[in-house]
Amino acid sequence: MSVFGNSDELKNVMLTLWGRIKTDADMSEKLLRSRLLVQFRYRDPEGLLTVDASDGVELKLIWGRFDQKPVIEMAMKADIAHEFWMGRISVPVAILTGKMVSKGPTPKALALLPVIRPAFDFYPDVVHEVAGEGARK
Amino acid sequence: MQPFTFHAPTRITFGADTASSAGEFVKELGGTRTLIVTDANLMKAGLLDKILSSFKDDGHFEPVIFSDVPADSDVPCVKQAAQLAIESRCDSLLAVGGGSVIDTAKVVNICLTYGGDLLDYQGLNNLPSRLHPLLCIPTTAGTGSEVSLVAMIKDHAEGKKLLFGSRLLAPDSAILDPALLLSLPPRLTAGTGLDALTHCLEALAAVSTSSSLTDSLSIEAMKMIFANLERATTDGANLEARSNMLVASTMAGLAFTNAGVGIVHAMAHATGGRYGTHHGITNAVFLPYGLDFNRMAIAPKYAYAARQLGITNSTDDAKGADELIRVVVSLIERCGLPSCLKDLGVPEFSEVDLEELAEQAITDPAIMFNPREASAEDIINIYKRAY
Repeated sequence: MSVFGNSDELKNVMLTLWGRIKTDADMSEKLLRSRLLVQFRYRDPEGLLTVDASDGVELKLIWGRFDQKPVIEMAMKADIAHEFWMGRISVPVAILTGKMVSKGPTPKALALLPVIRPAFDFYPDVVHEVAGEGARK
Repeated sequence: MQPFTFHAPTRITFGADTASSAGEFVKELGGTRTLIVTDANLMKAGLLDKILSSFKDDGHFEPVIFSDVPADSDVPCVKQAAQLAIESRCDSLLAVGGGSVIDTAKVVNICLTYGGDLLDYQGLNNLPSRLHPLLCIPTTAGTGSEVSLVAMIKDHAEGKKLLFGSRLLAPDSAILDPALLLSLPPRLTAGTGLDALTHCLEALAAVSTSSSLTDSLSIEAMKMIFANLERATTDGANLEARSNMLVASTMAGLAFTNAGVGIVHAMAHATGGRYGTHHGITNAVFLPYGLDFNRMAIAPKYAYAARQLGITNSTDDAKGADELIRVVVSLIERCGLPSCLKDLGVPEFSEVDLEELAEQAITDPAIMFNPREASAEDIINIYKRAY
């Protein structure tokens, strides 16, 4: 059974999480400096989140279809994304076990990890606030 | 015990002169028209003669040969070889050579199987379906590419390396024929051998992804390397030493492809990408520093390895780790390899060089498996010490 009850719940959690990342001056600045266009493709339940820092000015968060080609695409089950943000699964393990797919230049994808790591601290609160008791840990 | 997944999909066949049955192996894999990927030196040295005869003996269509793989293969080379394979309607590949040749064949296979833009397939776990059959015959003992799930090629236009990693990328079959290594020059023998040793030590150190399976392969391969590398280097015609090194290299390949590598490979990739240094020899320079850097995180594992290798009986982890590093340094010296970057021909670093190298190393995929997190400052410090 998935941590997220449906695609809407996944969408609300991820957009809230990234919304907080966007308002964090340090993380936001570093992401904008990268000028990356990153897409997260989730399944079970399905979801597509694009994080667009390409103009270096504003971090844009787009849920759903996005026509521009991303520089990096990460695909995984929504549960794996949850485990990642909870700090319970490491990227090397997820990659070696085939649970994460990374498309595009891997060094650029890896460079993002230390940038977004501070969000691990507030992700559990985001899940609790958005998905409430419905979210299965 | 932590959970793990271990992939070893490649059929491995070892034996002197087994390469002369290559045609039969390809036939078993279902190949009818084969692209042979190799380099010009191997062709000139006649190393492919028996292999080519085996295709004729087996009633195959004449194989198509691409022999222009450079020492550090790149995108134009892959595209050229893929074009040849497509035009010749090849349905299988045979790689005969070192790591660069085998990695080229793997990426050519991606182009041949899927078509389209090669860049769409870079990344990890990003291949959609089975590839055409690939048989590999390594002619060096070090890269482990004949069993690994990864391939790396240079994109000179963009000044970076492209990484492809997927369990589907593992060759279907590997022939380990030590007779093909008898003419490998001493420096290349030592350098590639040190690459294999680095695979063992970094796979062992990758504590979040290693397993009992990868540890046992690493330790057994290290025993073989310590016992045979110097002999293979100084007495290249020694078939037994060559055999041991070839099998050890493949075992180390299985270990690292399932557990990962670490800081030494990350720094060697950054250095090689910028200065064109030989991968294995660059690993040899960084290896003692990488071991020293990781010692505080995993001294017990180093000590365990030292005891398994018969280097020490001490149960003191710090002493065991020291002993392991000492024998590694000694082996590098005895094999006549350089101990510093300067001797490798690397020019003196500016502060900007160091910052850029550090940035490349800390975002190199290899470093994600390292047991101790390394900052840019840590990397710069190692660069300065290793110079």
